[in-house]
Amino acid sequence: MLKKIVIAAVSILVLFSAGLSLYCWHLSEQIDDRFSTRRWSIPSKVFSDTTLLYPGQRIEQNLFQQKLHNLGYRFVDKTPASKGEVQILPHSLNIYLYDLQTPWNDRHGFPTRISINKSTITDIFRIDNKEAVSILELEPEEISLFFGPERERRQLISIQDVPPHLIYAVLAAEDNRFYQHHGIDPRGILRALMTNLRHGSIRQGGSTLTQQLAKNYFLTPARTLTRKLKEVLLSLVMELKYEKDEILEIYLNEIYLGQKGSVAINGVGEASHFYFGKAVKYLSRGEAATIAGLIKAPNHYSPYIDSERCRSRRNSVLRTMYTKGWITQDELYADLEQPVKTVGYTVHGKKAPYFIDYLTQQLKTLYRPEDLTSLGLSIYTTLDTQVQSAAEKALEIGLSDLERRNPALKREEPDQKLQGAIIVMQPRTGYILAMVGGRNYSTSQFNRIVQAKRQPGSAFKPFVYLSSLDEFTPTTLLANQPHTYTVDGQPWEPQNFEPVTKYTVSVKDALKMSYNLATVDLAMKTGLDHIVEVTSQFHFSTPIKPYPSLALGAFEIIPLELARAYCVFAADGLLPYPLSLKSVVDETGDTLKQKHMQIERMIPPAKAFIVNSMLQAVVKAGTARSLKDKGITWPVAGKTGTTNDFRDAWFVGFTPDILALVWVGFDNGDPIMATGASAALPIWVELINAVPQHISGQAFSVPMGVEKRTVCSVTGLLATKGCPEPVQEYFLVDNAPEEQCPLHRKSGLTDLIEGVKSLFDDN
Amino acid sequence: MTTKVTVTLICWLMISAITGCSKKEIVSQEPVATGETIAPETPVEPDQPPQPGPRVQASLKLTEQGRLNLEAGKPDNAIRVLEQAISLNPDNGQNYYYLAEAWIMKKQLTEAREFNSLAELHLKDNKAWLEKVARQADRIADLEK
Repeated sequence: MLKKIVIAAVSILVLFSAGLSLYCWHLSEQIDDRFSTRRWSIPSKVFSDTTLLYPGQRIEQNLFQQKLHNLGYRFVDKTPASKGEVQILPHSLNIYLYDLQTPWNDRHGFPTRISINKSTITDIFRIDNKEAVSILELEPEEISLFFGPERERRQLISIQDVPPHLIYAVLAAEDNRFYQHHGIDPRGILRALMTNLRHGSIRQGGSTLTQQLAKNYFLTPARTLTRKLKEVLLSLVMELKYEKDEILEIYLNEIYLGQKGSVAINGVGEASHFYFGKAVKYLSRGEAATIAGLIKAPNHYSPYIDSERCRSRRNSVLRTMYTKGWITQDELYADLEQPVKTVGYTVHGKKAPYFIDYLTQQLKTLYRPEDLTSLGLSIYTTLDTQVQSAAEKALEIGLSDLERRNPALKREEPDQKLQGAIIVMQPRTGYILAMVGGRNYSTSQFNRIVQAKRQPGSAFKPFVYLSSLDEFTPTTLLANQPHTYTVDGQPWEPQNFEPVTKYTVSVKDALKMSYNLATVDLAMKTGLDHIVEVTSQFHFSTPIKPYPSLALGAFEIIPLELARAYCVFAADGLLPYPLSLKSVVDETGDTLKQKHMQIERMIPPAKAFIVNSMLQAVVKAGTARSLKDKGITWPVAGKTGTTNDFRDAWFVGFTPDILALVWVGFDNGDPIMATGASAALPIWVELINAVPQHISGQAFSVPMGVEKRTVCSVTGLLATKGCPEPVQEYFLVDNAPEEQCPLHRKSGLTDLIEGVKSLFDDN
Repeated sequence: MTTKVTVTLICWLMISAITGCSKKEIVSQEPVATGETIAPETPVEPDQPPQPGPRVQASLKLTEQGRLNLEAGKPDNAIRVLEQAISLNPDNGQNYYYLAEAWIMKKQLTEAREFNSLAELHLKDNKAWLEKVARQADRIADLEK
């Protein structure tokens, strides 16, 4: 009988063991699957471009300080002693730079002084060795993250990067026998049990780090016996299969350590940046103990919520570290005295949201959405956050001002408000520096820079004038009088914006003053098919048809494409590809994708310059002449645009360094009762005045194939001494005027009489 | 005195009448040669000749960094730095020359050719550089064969 019982018991034991082994094998597979594949979803980060600083550069100090703040720099009132600290002095900034790591530059942070006088950087030098710095590159700014549904931030760290005091602190706070047990710590469980019995409540948990990891990684939070049993088995299997340091590394990357707005902070790598603004390897003992103390209840002990409670918890961890012999008494006393000093944080709204949407559309052609939310890519862009801020601010100021000047433009419904859009580009490289697709992203995500199709009106005229340059010169005379054209069998009679008395005007004056009648005259003489042929090279995606109204921009266009096309006039006839994405780098720092400036020869440099010089006249004395009164004293070219019934107001202005397009209008086409010069131009000025670092003040260089001649302002032919108003004008060498002005050429007799007259006048 | 002035005036009138008539013969000539028209300014100078300001100097530093990246066999880094140099000074043709070199290194000859022609445009006044640009164009052409 006994024998039967023993056999039965052994059989049951064997069966149980076999079952348990099978189950453990199953768990082992589960662990392998989980650990061999990607362990965490890391959101990809989008960065702005880096910022260049150099002596002689003009800066807008408020935007610059905002930039430093956004980069995580901390303003202190002493000489910066550690990376990320900035001291503001009356005429200088002392900055301890962070490390810079981009695909194209890698440098360690160093203390530097930037001297500033009247918004101009006068000097940059290293504080440590007094060496002059000729050009300084500031880190790119994080502008967006591609979160998955879990909305977690995490910066992975390697156990080799973790300082010993952080490991001791975590062990002191959570599992001080981690290196002694095998996943389960009976002594820990007993100690917790005793503590809890003594207090009559749950005061201490007996879970080891391995158990916590098993729970977080594989199990639900439900408190059941089965789950606990599974947790124990998982812990044992994990300890069997993995080294202690491997388990600890996963744990340190996994744990939840707080909240930044709606985003969870996970892992000590992210937490050390979030709380102390530094990489984990630079954490002090006290900071390490603070982070370790957070594990128990991150939001309860958060220094951002209750710094005293946080300090008390930190000190508790430090005392345990001392008890265990991991720190000395002196170290303990020194650390206990220290306050908890955090870096601070601001939960920013979505930065440059329209730009990010535009970028995302391009990224989606390269990566699956789930990759963007999980692979932890670093995405470097062309965005300049200072220009972006200036553009957003300028648009809001400009639109509010328009509404204030004309209350009829105000709308109650947020989605029907007066709208505007801005794009800022570097004409030569095609870099998109800023993109504002609308007034308020939260009420309207419609990106008017890339999605809107609006009539350009007179802003299209430069392309008509460009098309005419083989045959006409800036001084060729055009008819500026009413004329009825027949379009599809129907009469069409264009009109000037304002009645004019000049019935004959030069090509240049027609563009300068944006005369419609003269422009249509030019278009008809040039040939509408030819204009379509020329403009079609500019990659406009909207159809442009050979109707006479084409000359006045009476067709739809996408603002981004118009801005890009204008780059041709600023960049020697080259059409750049509008670039927003520069590089994509994976977690290990390997570059996956690079995009560089791409250019396409569109027109000869000489032709580009002739149009450019006429557009400079628009600013100097034409429809955009108000720029001069608004503080724009350097060479600028540009064109205003106003469409029928004041539905759209445009201004596209550029220097050799920067180009900005501003559009103002209602989405539903309601009239705004303002012109490009009165509605869009002031916004352009506000923006450009806020980004002096992008303005060199240089003139446009004159290419080969262009020459300057002095011509009669009346006839447009070579000036004679008799011409009352001779003017200097640029021409293409190939079709510069050769003929002298016949109108003011004087006979010898007239000359003689005048000579005699002057003789007496002199007396 | 009055008689003297009158005689002088009549003489001057006669001489001037003769020379005035002869001017009609020169009208069809090149404007520069007539002496009647205002001479054009050729070669043309820009309205405000560019001075090497701080921006240009900073750009030159980046150009040098770009060149060093090329020497180190890092064309992508070179391109990135040279793009920064161009953003500060679009008129420096050396940037385009080195960009062409970078694209040659990356074996993308269409881009190399484009930047080579841009270098030629911007280095038109520098004989030594123009020769380098021409040699570069030849190398690109050879590689394209």
